[in-house]
Amino acid sequence: MPLFVRNALIALAITGAIVGTVVYAVDYLNRERVADLQAIEDQLSIDTLSLDTQFSLLANAPCESTASSTDLTGELTDLGNRLAYTENQLGSENAQVVRLKQQYSLLEIRDYLATEELAKECDEKPVTVLYFYSNTPGECPDCDKAGYALSYLRDTYPALRVYSFDYHLSLGALSTLIGIEKIQPSFPAIVINGKASYGFTTLADLEKRFPKSALATSTSKGS
Amino acid sequence: MNPEALAYPFLFIALFFESFVLVTFLSKPARSARARQAASIEDPSLPTVAIVVPCWNEETTVAGTVESLLALKYPKEKLEIILVDDGSTDGTPAAMARFADNAQVQIVRKENGGKHTAMNAGTALTSAEIVGYLDADSFVEPSALLEVMSGFTSEQVAAVTAAMSVHKPDNLLRHMQNAEYIFGITLRHTLASVNGLYVTPGPFSFFRREIIVALGGFREAHKGEDLEMALRLQRAGYWLENAPRAKVYTKGPPTLRKLLKQRVRWTTGFMRNVGGEYRDLVGNRRYGALGMLVLPLNLTTYVSGTLMFLLALFLLGRRAFAAIEIRSGIPASYAWLPHASALSRTFDWFYLPSSLYILLGVATIIGSLTMIAIGKRVSETPGSLVQGLLAYLIAYGFIAPLWVMRSLADIALGKKRAWR
Repeated sequence: MPLFVRNALIALAITGAIVGTVVYAVDYLNRERVADLQAIEDQLSIDTLSLDTQFSLLANAPCESTASSTDLTGELTDLGNRLAYTENQLGSENAQVVRLKQQYSLLEIRDYLATEELAKECDEKPVTVLYFYSNTPGECPDCDKAGYALSYLRDTYPALRVYSFDYHLSLGALSTLIGIEKIQPSFPAIVINGKASYGFTTLADLEKRFPKSALATSTSKGS
Repeated sequence: MNPEALAYPFLFIALFFESFVLVTFLSKPARSARARQAASIEDPSLPTVAIVVPCWNEETTVAGTVESLLALKYPKEKLEIILVDDGSTDGTPAAMARFADNAQVQIVRKENGGKHTAMNAGTALTSAEIVGYLDADSFVEPSALLEVMSGFTSEQVAAVTAAMSVHKPDNLLRHMQNAEYIFGITLRHTLASVNGLYVTPGPFSFFRREIIVALGGFREAHKGEDLEMALRLQRAGYWLENAPRAKVYTKGPPTLRKLLKQRVRWTTGFMRNVGGEYRDLVGNRRYGALGMLVLPLNLTTYVSGTLMFLLALFLLGRRAFAAIEIRSGIPASYAWLPHASALSRTFDWFYLPSSLYILLGVATIIGSLTMIAIGKRVSETPGSLVQGLLAYLIAYGFIAPLWVMRSLADIALGKKRAWR
């Protein structure tokens, strides 16, 4: 066998090994990401349950609880960012991504309810934003812009609680929330303190939909 | 389909070629070539050598070129230098006249007829066994000729090429070219070990005079006389060798315009010769590594390089457009400057870019940098390569496709360009 043919065959094997290694590395990193997300979600589940339990134990004086859902909200935000990145890597149809999104959405709803409950019991006025988007191609061309604008508002005004949901995610609790809030399948759908509005044009326009006192630079009482 | 997937076959080919070069580099013939010692100046069997310097308007560089040739370690009685002025219109004749009294130097002036005519005119003036050529903007190390002579290992070896790098690179473009030339040292050294060379470059390539005269001398060959001669020698069944430590330095075009002009000339020369008169070599088993691998892969590289470039531009443009679009209306201090939440993601492994496209691209780049490092080590080229590697990483991927695309356009339109 000529030397160059032998070398070409060896090179082919090496190239195959490199490509195989890269494919494995990509898959490994994605599996690690999913495992990381799972661990965060497990921890958040425990934290949420702990918070619920504290509320129950202090049923007569929930406002005296040293626990706060603020930390949970921060962790939820981080989890949401990671989940969005993973969804971008693996695709929104990926079964693991869908399952993680379901868990994440449940945690968000639970945190939202806890925030609402605290607000009612303790005379606090947090500003909550429910943001419904759609991943169906062509259904929401402005969702990326709306999502980024809400990220900006959340980072700038820590009092804001932003909860984002994939409208079409198959989850009973989410369907119930959509029903209660009467959210139409028009995107992006943004519910600010219970008042729904649709579409996104500019940041300035979005800011007008908030209560006047909501976008103060200082942290609000409810946080 | 994900547009990134279009790049996979080309990245696979690039990785395959790099692997082939590295495997061949470790094979016995290449190891033997590296172990070869330079010929001894005391060796009485050293052949007579003539070095032809074809010049056209090289008043600023020709003197340095000739001085470096006169400093070559080689028996003076066996080395002649022939300066051919191809009808220069500047001060080249005066610059050459400085050497008129040197017994080793012959000076000849002719009407302008193109580089190949100057090379043939010089060849016709000598009866030396070996004839070499050196562009008048290049300089050689004193040991280069003895290194080259060690490459004529058998009668079947018709030509020996040298190891080129850029002389004192002084800007980003020249640093980039330096890294590219040193990449070429690895390539030439390894491909020579499987007789896969398809060009005998203008700077310091040597031939058995009788063979190139018998083959009819140099031709215009779409301004690719060095490539055409190599292909003609290959077709005639000869071997082309390489002397990896025969160091020769060239200036390299200083501006993008001049660089593009030079590279379009080289690339169209390759495409027109290989796609025309020498088409039968491509894919021909008779020509071994050259026919089955080197020429087909080179042709593929031109197409794949262009497609990869356009794809990268498309992906980059799409990402940039999306980034600008979603940030429109958001205060610039948040949208475009680092802020806490973005920074926390930058240093988190979770957000490490890890698509197949990116990682295969990184593997290909690592392969290229490895070949550059090997080229520097094998040739013992002096100087730091840090700037060269940086310039290569930053600029080559953007600049090389420009000359390839312009070359493809020239060929499609049948356009021929002047030498300079």
